[in-house]
Amino acid sequence: MKGRYQDENLKWIPALIALVILLPFILKGMTFSYKYYLYILNTIGIYIILTVGLDILSGYTGLISLGHAGFMAIGAYSSAILVDQVGLPFGLSLIISPIIAGLFGFIIGFPALRISGMYLGLTTMGFGFIIRRLIIALREWTQGSGGLVVSSPELFGFTIKGDWANYFLVWIFALLAIVASRRMMKSKIGRAFMAIRDSEQAAEASGINLAQYKMMSFFISGVFAGLAGVLMAHTNHFISTDHFDNMLSIYFIIMVLVGGMGSIYGAVLGTIFIVFLENLIVPVVEGWLHAMFQNEAGDIESLIFGLIMFLFIIFQPTGLYGMWLKIRIYWKLFPFNPKQRFT
Amino acid sequence: MTSFFTDIGQEIVSGIALGSIYALIALGFILIYKATEVVNFAQGELMMVGAYVNFFLIQTFTGSLGVPTIWTFLFGLLGSIIFAVIFGWFLDLVINRPMRDEPVFSIIMATISIGIVLRALVGLIAGPMSLVPPSPFGGAYIKLGGIIISVLDIFIIGSAIVLVSVFYYFFNKTRWGLAMQATSEDPIAAELMGVPVTRVYTLVWIFAAIVAAVSGVLLAPRATILDTNMGFLGLKAFPAAVLGGFGSIPGAIVGGVILGIIETISMGTLSFHFEWIKEINDIIVWIVLIAVLMIKPTGIMGTEEIKKV
Repeated sequence: MKGRYQDENLKWIPALIALVILLPFILKGMTFSYKYYLYILNTIGIYIILTVGLDILSGYTGLISLGHAGFMAIGAYSSAILVDQVGLPFGLSLIISPIIAGLFGFIIGFPALRISGMYLGLTTMGFGFIIRRLIIALREWTQGSGGLVVSSPELFGFTIKGDWANYFLVWIFALLAIVASRRMMKSKIGRAFMAIRDSEQAAEASGINLAQYKMMSFFISGVFAGLAGVLMAHTNHFISTDHFDNMLSIYFIIMVLVGGMGSIYGAVLGTIFIVFLENLIVPVVEGWLHAMFQNEAGDIESLIFGLIMFLFIIFQPTGLYGMWLKIRIYWKLFPFNPKQRFT
Repeated sequence: MTSFFTDIGQEIVSGIALGSIYALIALGFILIYKATEVVNFAQGELMMVGAYVNFFLIQTFTGSLGVPTIWTFLFGLLGSIIFAVIFGWFLDLVINRPMRDEPVFSIIMATISIGIVLRALVGLIAGPMSLVPPSPFGGAYIKLGGIIISVLDIFIIGSAIVLVSVFYYFFNKTRWGLAMQATSEDPIAAELMGVPVTRVYTLVWIFAAIVAAVSGVLLAPRATILDTNMGFLGLKAFPAAVLGGFGSIPGAIVGGVILGIIETISMGTLSFHFEWIKEINDIIVWIVLIAVLMIKPTGIMGTEEIKKV
């Protein structure tokens, strides 16, 4: 069994890498505004790193986090401070800052040992608020709510600047995140996480150390979110606490939910779907509706997102990835499909 | 020194009033939680909807700039309660029935999404401007030994006490209340015993919507401004409910009042004497929440929940 999974896993990766490398060139050939699309793709890459981490925490381990933007903020700010003010090389900060975010995840993991369900949701939500406030309070380093300008990163003697370089920097890490998390979830750790999600008592009875694995899940998730934050800080060149408000945490959960909880490809699909929706379709709808309503910016966007999330929870709880699986099974069995399975 | 005590007294009084509003919001989701084990993250938005409905009703009665008398205010309150009944029934139909056997996570996310939708819809319908809701009591106040208490605050505290006691009585003494308790304990067993579980759920959501509308109507004139961000205030009632013990009706008012007092005192006297308190004013409720969950997750009046495999 193990060998088969690995083969399936490996078959996908070269195709994915080829697509990621070729996509910007294809876009450049197709449109003049390809820089805008590159920017969207960068955003997708950064968010994928985070949602994959969130999926490990929520989808695989079954722990709720409503404050994941907080971890991202920690990664972003600590890298900005370490590189620009302490003077560490970017390569080192790329390792240290996610670990700092992961340690914060560790701290949040402590209460998670005693509480679960909505209490955990509240705790993590509170964590998100507290982190934002903390960043504003430490204004000697972070410039308070005014925001912080971040320099371009230097890696192996090259300065990474401009959309093209950013794209490849972000997507190298996004691909690494996808592959690494897939591997991790197929290993002993991933199986332990899933056992905890399905039944804590049964997992404990089978010799899984609940405390250790829950903390580990929070740590891993924090590291992924921190990495996303580092990349965001150094490719956007400007961060402020407004970039990490609690609505963003909710959006991350929408991405994971729409994609399908508990599958890495699901998180990836959901992120792509939501970011494209936000940047390409929502402006069009806003244009239509603008004549009708005197709207505040963002109202229509959140209306659409809220509705999508609600409809997915009610009608398609397994998300886009679940839909894909259904289609795949349908074609595999093609003329011999039991009718009632596909209602 | 006397001025110090008057200041503290003043802050405690306004803290009790603020806490009463937290208690009312908390009462809303405690009701839902007690009967259905669902946590409604959209309670703040329900409150906001109630406040908006009340505002527009009063506006239609008195014209755009008219100051409401106590009667138009009560009439507006009645109107928003009627609206809340319909709305609560609708929410039960939309959220609670399809989500009955889903995991906690999905239900939390469903209520959050409803909250997002409501906030966006109200923003679209009411327009981007903030409204200024008129107070039915004008600026009337009572002076008690140097402490000024506005009539609106007294009204808020009074209605919180009345509503909490009514629901406490309802839950523990009446037939329907006992049916709700049975449903929360074990819906299948309750159904077999002849409890109309579906109707109990509908009733609970309607009650929660009514409580939310009342708290919204009371909060709007106190906050002197009405916009869609009012929904976020509902989140602050969660720490109150957890502090009082989630699922305990008297716990709502205890937790709410304690939290309200903590918040106003830290914003007032403490900020004045300690510089660093200013930084954590708006997150102090969340610090309290995490502290409570670390030390005593059942809160002040909650009971230990024992989970069997």
